[in-house]
Amino acid sequence: MITGFSTIRRRFPVLGVLTIFLCIGSIQNASAADPGEQVFQNNCAGCHSVGGGALVGPDLAGVHDRRSQAWLEGFIKSSQSMINGGDPDANALYKKFNQIRMPDMSLTDGQITEVLVYIKAAGATTGTTGAQKPAKKPQKVATKEDLTRGQNLFQGKLRFENNGPTCISCHNVTNDAVIGGGVLAKELTRVFSKMGGTGVRAILGRAPFPVMEAAYKDKPLTETEIFSLVTFLQDADEQHAYHNPRDYGKGLLLSGVIGAFILFVFYSLLWLRRRKDSVNQKIYDRQVKST
Amino acid sequence: MDIRSQISMVFHLDKCIGCHTCSVACKNIWTDRKGAEYMWWNNVETKPGTGYPGKWEDQDIYKGGWEKKGNDIKLKGAGKKKGLSNIFHNPHMPVIDDYYEPFTYKYLDLIESPEVDDQPTARPVSLITGKPMDIKMGPNWDDDLSGTPDYARNDVNLKNLSPAEQQAMFQLEKMAFFYLPRICNHCLNPACVASCPSGAIYKRGEDGIVLINQKVCRAWRMCVTACPYKKSYYNWHTGKSEKCILCYPRIEAGYAPACMHSCVGRIRYLGVMLYDADQIHDIASADKDKLIDKQLDMLMDPFDPEVIESAKKNGIADSTIKAAQKSPVYKFVKEWGMALPLHAEFRTLPMLFYVPPMLPVMASITNVDNTEQSKKLGDISKFWPDNWLYDTSTEEFWGTIEQARLPIQYMANLFSAGNTEMVKLRIMKLMAIRIHRRWKTVGDISEEKARQVLKDVGLTQETADAIYYLTSLAKFDDRFVIPAAHREHAIEMMENTGDVKGSTGFGFKQDTAKRGL
Repeated sequence: MITGFSTIRRRFPVLGVLTIFLCIGSIQNASAADPGEQVFQNNCAGCHSVGGGALVGPDLAGVHDRRSQAWLEGFIKSSQSMINGGDPDANALYKKFNQIRMPDMSLTDGQITEVLVYIKAAGATTGTTGAQKPAKKPQKVATKEDLTRGQNLFQGKLRFENNGPTCISCHNVTNDAVIGGGVLAKELTRVFSKMGGTGVRAILGRAPFPVMEAAYKDKPLTETEIFSLVTFLQDADEQHAYHNPRDYGKGLLLSGVIGAFILFVFYSLLWLRRRKDSVNQKIYDRQVKST
Repeated sequence: MDIRSQISMVFHLDKCIGCHTCSVACKNIWTDRKGAEYMWWNNVETKPGTGYPGKWEDQDIYKGGWEKKGNDIKLKGAGKKKGLSNIFHNPHMPVIDDYYEPFTYKYLDLIESPEVDDQPTARPVSLITGKPMDIKMGPNWDDDLSGTPDYARNDVNLKNLSPAEQQAMFQLEKMAFFYLPRICNHCLNPACVASCPSGAIYKRGEDGIVLINQKVCRAWRMCVTACPYKKSYYNWHTGKSEKCILCYPRIEAGYAPACMHSCVGRIRYLGVMLYDADQIHDIASADKDKLIDKQLDMLMDPFDPEVIESAKKNGIADSTIKAAQKSPVYKFVKEWGMALPLHAEFRTLPMLFYVPPMLPVMASITNVDNTEQSKKLGDISKFWPDNWLYDTSTEEFWGTIEQARLPIQYMANLFSAGNTEMVKLRIMKLMAIRIHRRWKTVGDISEEKARQVLKDVGLTQETADAIYYLTSLAKFDDRFVIPAAHREHAIEMMENTGDVKGSTGFGFKQDTAKRGL
């Protein structure tokens, strides 16, 4: 990274002053890495790459050419309010990227400036060398065991290693192996074709949704767990046309309500026959009670 | 003929003073345990009154006992179909408030209280929850309370008395009451045994004592509702039902049961009866007005050679037959016809018989001139200017029975399934014996009249004296004729004693029953 940093300085002398400031910051932190890069890795890398192609969100290489600095700062601070505020660019992005909102990051203004500096610098580098492309991991081939494991993890038959909550408590997948998933969050049958393996993997690694983020805070999924889950989701997506689990829909709820009502009436009828009071109740009622 | 033996009892109500010594003796021996505090295997009720538990005689509430269906009988609240449909939810089950919440006092507070301005008090605490409580009821809350609206006037036995008769019972200065001590009747046709879904209750073959096997009991509590006398109680601590065991460990050792042994008024008699078990079904399903006569017919003459032969065939020991011949119960019930079963209409064929009470003394008030008598009083004597005599020496001997303070119909509801003639005859016999003894000891009644009275009720002077002896002078061995137990025979019927020889006789007692199944 040190080499990368010096390249930036050579190429963009204008930013030199800023970089010095940043360097002071990093010296104070006694950390070797660029703070902007750190922020990027911690908060953005799940969904974005710089020059690595679109993941969940767009590739950020050359984003400064497309948008103004103010627009970028505003979007990072709160993409939601910009979309709701009717910003045309923001809305176009929202539509393009499967209507997944970018979560509001709790970043300070300083951190936002840092990360933008990093993105700009990194984008410029990749433009020529392509060195910033995320290192590709050696492709692992999914086995049948991975699929079963993913299925079991999704349904909670297997616990996550770090005790994270089970997927099925909030999500559903139309799959014969899964009975009645949760309806609190997105239906995940077609998520693989929507986002692709990288996107899904990124979300599982670090969820960009506030509720999911809170749920998996301090309980991250392990690499193998993510791999198994992605395998399962991919399979579910590919096979979804052949899977048709029986859907009771509202009938299930209704039969529960009706059943409860019948039981209630039945027990009431039984109760009718029971003596309501003791034979001495009249005497007890009249007695003076101590407080 | 299928002769069996039954330990049977007679309670002479004319002698009961209502001291509750029997109840306390029983409680101290058997029911002074956690979960059993509210149980009174023996209790003494004031009649008229609602008894314990409240209104136990009202089978519309508790559905106990049998009812006649054609030529057969069915359990009123239990049995196969009714029992199964009520097995998890028995609507006729008595609740603890029908009995009472057992309590004790924090006596230690009296001793350990620091010196303060006020007297320390011992607060009552519940024996169920252990928390301080208001005492609302007790097992004999209505003791001696005749005429109260809550108890006496709610007596179930007032049901076929006219309103006028009922009013007359509770008039000031005419009010009367008597005591009714009750234990398990050890019936010949016990509803509790018939109702038990687990088969935990059985009638002992050798002496007819009805027992609950604590190892087999599964807490269904069907016996609690099925027993019309409410003498089976559920122990909430052990999760088993319990009832009077007629102190069988004492009986086997030749002692009288604790309640009988301790009885101050010596009202209790115990002896063996021989009965014909073939007739049980016929008699239990007989018409109501024939129930008692038939039940008395079933009790066999222990001197009859045919009866003795059949008894021996059934393995009844000679000692038991001998005890049956000397049985005071046989004399009271069969020979003299003095005693009646309580509530025969429940059709359980109870084997505890009661000599109905003649008291309060029936008399008339006559106008006399008391001046001569008053002159004899000393200066400090209390002087009443009355000119009447509480006269028990009436010319019309039987007239006073009709004018009894407790109407004959009321007694009949208790002791003879509503048949007034039957109770009346018993009370007349009691009265005849008094008149006979009055002629003998006081002499203000002529012999001619005394003989006439005895003749009216079918007694001779000899039997009258014998009744008098067994009523008033009888010694311990006259009142309790307990046969040798012959447990060795009973045990050998169940198991081979050789199996345990050399392997038992020393070690630890088994734990007491624990809650749970």
